[in-house]
Formats: sequence, C-alpha cells, structure tokens
Amino acid sequence: MKDLLSVEWLKIKSYRTFWILIGCFIVLLPLWNYEISKGIINFTKGAGANLLGGAYSFPGVWGNVGFWGSVFVLFLSMLIIIITTNEFTFRTHRQNVIDGWSRLQFYHAKVLMVVLFSVLATIYYIIIGACFGMSNLGTFGDIFSAPEQFGYFFLISLDYMGFAMLLALLLRRSGLSMGLFLVYTIILEAILQHSLNYITSSKAGNYLPLQASDELLPFPLTEMMRNMMHAQQSSLSSYVYVTIGWCLVYYFAGRMMMLKRDW
Amino acid sequence: MASVLSISNISKSYGSIKALQNVSFEVPEGSVFGILGPNGSGKTTLLGTALDVLKADSGTYSWFENMQPDEARRQLGALLETPNFYHYLSAIDNLQIAAAIKHRGMDDRLRVLEQVNLLERKDSKFQTFSLGMKQRLAIASALLGSPRILVLDEPTNGLDPAGIAEIRELIKALNSQGITVIMASHLLDEVEKVCTHVAILKKGTLLVSGDVNDVLHSEDIIEVQSEDMALLNRVITGMAGITNVRQANSMLLLSCQKNIQAQHVNQFCIDNGIVLSHLLLKKKSLETKFMELTNG
Repeated sequence: MKDLLSVEWLKIKSYRTFWILIGCFIVLLPLWNYEISKGIINFTKGAGANLLGGAYSFPGVWGNVGFWGSVFVLFLSMLIIIITTNEFTFRTHRQNVIDGWSRLQFYHAKVLMVVLFSVLATIYYIIIGACFGMSNLGTFGDIFSAPEQFGYFFLISLDYMGFAMLLALLLRRSGLSMGLFLVYTIILEAILQHSLNYITSSKAGNYLPLQASDELLPFPLTEMMRNMMHAQQSSLSSYVYVTIGWCLVYYFAGRMMMLKRDW
Repeated sequence: MASVLSISNISKSYGSIKALQNVSFEVPEGSVFGILGPNGSGKTTLLGTALDVLKADSGTYSWFENMQPDEARRQLGALLETPNFYHYLSAIDNLQIAAAIKHRGMDDRLRVLEQVNLLERKDSKFQTFSLGMKQRLAIASALLGSPRILVLDEPTNGLDPAGIAEIRELIKALNSQGITVIMASHLLDEVEKVCTHVAILKKGTLLVSGDVNDVLHSEDIIEVQSEDMALLNRVITGMAGITNVRQANSMLLLSCQKNIQAQHVNQFCIDNGIVLSHLLLKKKSLETKFMELTNG
C-alpha cells in the first residue's frame, strides 16, 4: 500500500494543476465560511438577518461547514478526474503495467488516492469546524460532541470522488469526464431525483448515487427550517448504508472494468 | 537453448478484424529476435498481449518458463508503440516512477540517460522533447536496472540516421552482454542488420519463424547459357554448391549456396570444357524476398 501511494505521490508532487486545485480547496473553504459567518456573504438578507452566520458555534458548525465542504469537494473530484484521465492521455496506464504493476495494483493505487484524499479532506474539515466553533465560545471538548458528522463528511468525500473516478475510468477522456461529471452533479441528478420522487410518491430519488450522501449534510437553511417546524427528524442511517453501497458499486465496477478491458 | 518467451496459439480480434490468429513461437535466450511485418500485421498487438496491456481472446504466453507475469515484467525493459511518460515531469522524474515500479535503485537513472545521450536534458520536461528524444528516453527507461530482456517496439521510430545507427549499435552491444532483445519492426533492413532470429507476421498470421539466415536467406540466381545446353545441364548439375538447376527459355537458372559466385561457375565450366555464351548473376533483394513472403 505504501509502495503504491509513494508512486502516486511521485506522479503529482510536481504537478502544478494538483497544487492549484488543492490550494483552492485549502484557501477557499475557510474563506467562504468566514465570509458567511461574518455576514459578508448573506443568503438570507431578505429575512433581515444573517441566519447562516449564526450557525458557526458547536454543534451547528459541523452541518454548516460540512455542507459547504461537500460543495468544495467538487474541486477534489475534478482533481481525481484529471489525474486519472492523465494516465490514459499520456498512456502511462500502459507503461505502469509494462513496468511491472499488475492491472489491479494500478487500480488500487488510484482507489487509495481517493480514500487518502477523503481522509485528508475530513481532517481538514474537522480542523476548520473546530476553529470556527472554538472562536464562537466553544471549548476543546465540544469538538467531539458530534463525531458522526465526521463520518458523514468522509462518506460524502468518498462518494463524490469515487463516482468521479469511475466516470474517468469509463470515459478515459478528461474534458468529457469532467463535463459529464458536472452536468450530472449539478443538473441531471436533481432532475432524476425529483422525477423519481414525484413518480413513485416516495423518497426513492434521494437514494441516487450522490444524493444519498448529500442527504447526510443538507443545506443548512433546509435543516434549520425542519428544526423550526419540529419536523420529524428522519434517521440518516439508511443514507449511510446506501452511500456505502454506492461506494462499493463504484469499486467493483471499476475493478471489473480494469481487469477485463484492453488498455 | 532455453526460451525466455513462449507464445502459444494466441488469437485476438478487434470486432471483425482478426488481429492475431493462432500465433505461436519461442524466443531463445540470448537472441535478438525480430518480429517483422508490414503495418497492421499484428506486431504491437502481439507484444501488447505478452505485456498484459491487451487481453488475448485465446492462447497463452509465458516469460522465463512460467514466471509470474507481474514479476517477469519487472525483469524486462519494454517500449511499446509510443514513449509513454508524464508530460509535465522531467526526464529524471519520469524515470524515477519507472524505477520505483520496477523496484530498481534510483542511482541507475543517470547511467541510462548517459547511454542514450540525454544526460544534459535530464531536468527538461518531457513535453519539451523532440520525437527522437522521447524515443531515447523510452529506451533509457527500458534499460533501467539492466533487464535480462529488452522488448522494443519500433525502437528507431522518429530517430535521425545517426540515432538509428546508435540504437542499432546499442542493441548489438547489449546483446553481446547476454541480454535478449525482442524487437518489432516493419523495416526489413533493420531486422536483417541486428537480428539473429525472426518471426514474420502478415495480417495476424505467423508466416515463418526461425534463424534469420534461414528465413531471410537471399538466394542468388546465376543464369548460364552455352551452345550445348544438354551438356551444360549435365555438367553443372554435378557442381558442388549448386542446389537447384532449372531450365527457363534458353537458359539454365542455378540456385546456389552462398559461397558460390559467378566466377566459380565460369571456372568450373571452363575446367569441364564448356565455354559459356552467357553468365549473369541475378541478386534477389531482401525486399523482393520480404514482398514474396508477405504478399504471397
């Protein structure tokens, strides 16, 4: 495992695109949250208050930073698409195998990258959440008051990046994969979700690949409204299981593709 | 001689196109083994299959008499079709990745770059390289860690004449150190100059394989004529080194062994009291032979 990751590190350590996208994630996520917390960006101006800005103390901070973090995970997903399709563009996927990796080793190196990025993104999420929470009258002990949120964030990251990688392995072309990924995440899944829910008069559409994990950290205002109306807090465990299920589907579909197809 | 690669009954189709049909041969250790064939004859497909980047529909291959394939690939250096490197990395960083995958030491990188005359460009990015330099880097990468076998697909692609000569010399020098070289080429001349063994492919079928001198032996034909053709025929048939005598029009066409030249035939006839009225050496070019083999 260490061997595979160390080779992946050699591939990206002097890759400018990698550092720019990582930099975007690292810099923009706290900046964005800072501006919301201070009311500089205010989605609720009409309500005459900064509703979201109030939610930066524990434990609300996790839902707030988590939601925005899951949006910013798109940067990391794009990065996954780029470093995966690069291998096909440069035909280095072939060369790695010619040089002695098995096809599965090549695949697992990429899967490990997705897992590693998810872990690192989650750690970063915890650090940022902790910083905002602590600066809003929280104590160190409060950081671990809602640890399930850390798991949700990890699952969202894994779900998005796993999905992105499967698309990249399937299509092999950078522009096409990126385009379809954005179209699906921003537009297509919403259409599918609402159509499914409408047709079946159920919440079936909420269990689509990316939506299932989105349900774990919903848009903070929606969550607030639910709380205000004392709506029944539905259990998130089904979304957790379905998200894990989707991640397994990506893994096995990708694995089958890598073993069967010509390179 | 032990075989380092054994290909047996490999077939592979792309849709309706049969890229390889039941191809089998053995590559003896220590040889320079040429896989020769026109464009699209299946050379790269065959090597790609043996290197596990392509999946054969049927048939098997084995390196070093059934060594585990991933392990075997780490023991060889291979260049398949195009030089494949990370465009944004320098030559030396690209070699670092190859060396890490092969489990080779990093200190070997300078030696191989020196060997292909790329040392002074070691820190330049791959994307700034010319076609010939990319090809050299691919050869350098194949040389990492002194592999027992080199697999080179069209190794002189994109090189200038001096570069082609250099690579030929390099292949010969490596082979003299005991390294087996398997190279695919559509250049007959290249194969003839460096290879000890050859397999000829045409449209996915193996036409012939074996020692290069047997397969590509270019037999010369000597045409002779004299007043008494019957006597000439009788006498010349008895000459040592003449393998075949055919009558064509008013001439006799002699196929002969390599050591027999026109003056030997002339001398032999004079010694036997025959004066030739016509004596002509017809060289059959390798190209003609190749065309015959691949078009026949």
